[in-house]
Amino acid sequence: MTPLQFEQSYQAEWDELAAQLRLILEGRKNQSGSFEPIRGERVAALYRRACEHLALARARAYPRYLIDKLDRITAEAHQVIYHQRDFGAQRLLHAILYDFPRAVRAHAGYVWLSAVLLYVPMFLIGWLVYERPDLILSVVDSDTVANMEMSYSDAAEALGSTRGPHENWYMFGFYILNNIGISFQCFAGGLVAGIGSIVALLINGAAIGAVAGYLTERGYSTNFYSFVVTHGAFELTAIVLSGATGLRIGHALIAPGRNTRLQSLVTACRECMPIIYGFVIMLVIAAAIEAFWSSARWLPLPLKYTVAALCWLAVMLYLTLQGRRAR
Amino acid sequence: MLDSVVAAETPEGILLELRPAGLSARFCAFAIDWLIRIAILWVAMFIFGLLGGAGIGLWLVLLFVLDWFYPVYFELGRKGATPGKRALDLKVVMDNGLPITPAASITRNLLRVADLMPAGFGAAVFCMLVRPDGKRLGDLAAGTLVVHQPRPAPKATLEMVAPIAPARALSPRDQAAVISLAARAPSLTIERLDELAALARSVQGDEARGSSEVTRRVLGVAQWLLGRRS
Repeated sequence: MTPLQFEQSYQAEWDELAAQLRLILEGRKNQSGSFEPIRGERVAALYRRACEHLALARARAYPRYLIDKLDRITAEAHQVIYHQRDFGAQRLLHAILYDFPRAVRAHAGYVWLSAVLLYVPMFLIGWLVYERPDLILSVVDSDTVANMEMSYSDAAEALGSTRGPHENWYMFGFYILNNIGISFQCFAGGLVAGIGSIVALLINGAAIGAVAGYLTERGYSTNFYSFVVTHGAFELTAIVLSGATGLRIGHALIAPGRNTRLQSLVTACRECMPIIYGFVIMLVIAAAIEAFWSSARWLPLPLKYTVAALCWLAVMLYLTLQGRRAR
Repeated sequence: MLDSVVAAETPEGILLELRPAGLSARFCAFAIDWLIRIAILWVAMFIFGLLGGAGIGLWLVLLFVLDWFYPVYFELGRKGATPGKRALDLKVVMDNGLPITPAASITRNLLRVADLMPAGFGAAVFCMLVRPDGKRLGDLAAGTLVVHQPRPAPKATLEMVAPIAPARALSPRDQAAVISLAARAPSLTIERLDELAALARSVQGDEARGSSEVTRRVLGVAQWLLGRRS
């Protein structure tokens, strides 16, 4: 069979496949006049035929334009046929309810290490600053200190007492931008052999600890802890989890085992994905609580502490118990 | 041939040719996307500015979403590319040529932070220049590839040349060479075409003719090989 005969025999099939693909890609709204249905089975059959034709054309060294034409149409059909569209609500719900807590437990070692890297400097620096308040200036700059002191003091300017709904929304946006950004950096820092994640965890732990120690020493502990303790359940845990993902991919790069470093990295990223979905959602919850609940100073303290305790309990139970049984 | 083509095998057993995009094309696409994002934020600033403090909060949420999820949204769409990439005929696919999965898209876009280091996308630029498939760190971790969309090749018609039977039996390789010369003919200068056709002069039988006549006869052989007989 010569190339011309080949082209003449099968051109109609290729045209039909191309027309169907256009229909699928562009939707019916761009169709003018005639209403042509999408026939899935026919597309699959035509796609397999076009694959055969491409293999034949290559084996017989047919002219380049013919191979290119078949190459393009099969590549396009391949993209359409294998396109995943099943990331709907059902899939997302499953990821949050089962994949997320399971992945966290599967990476328990990294989570504990990440927690140590965050909480040890937090308590250590917190205690040091509590003992010697002037040390805070070597961790945080003086403007931030003044700002913090004003926010948590009992004065009229203080956080929450005069804040209207507008400021709450402003703070919500700010927290989302800031906190989720930090967590993504903890994750991405893992690509530098995990060092980026370790540094991010240590620095954040030290900064939080320093502020807490300083404000406690200054006697603003009630204002400060009633503010941070509720959303801390989500925020600190999410930072620990993001650090754990960073440590996981760092470890995958340093010690790839029997895989190549690249394979090991790709596997690690795939396994960390549910944790990333999880901590992003936790940070959104944290930002909402921080902006709308934590700042409400008119709420009675016992209520705030009870809710905070419940939040911590809920987070811990969720991560340790949820999704243990296969479903 | 010096080529950066990556072959991906499909379940149907054919090899798809993927052409990875290089630094310059991807930089242009990134610049276009960046400008679009700036424009959206700029317009949003005016609209949300009317809402006061709450508006700034919403604007910050928008900034966050655009920063991290603008590429994810478009990569998971039907075209598999952000507007910038589409403008340059680029597309993001998995290593095996399949459409990009949600997890891979999120991975490669979150890891842009690592590509930013140490400054001005240093890691990304270094990585893309070193690797023949032009991947940045995020692509490596997600197992994705940014490829050029295949462009339609111009079809060689050359119907005005009468077919001539080849003077000797031609191997499939030689046949392919003659046909591809004919297919390239419209894109070559006359002089270059003559030079190339002279290399294949033995296929057309009549050695003594002038160079333009040899060219015409070689193209005629190509027509014959393509299947024309009259």
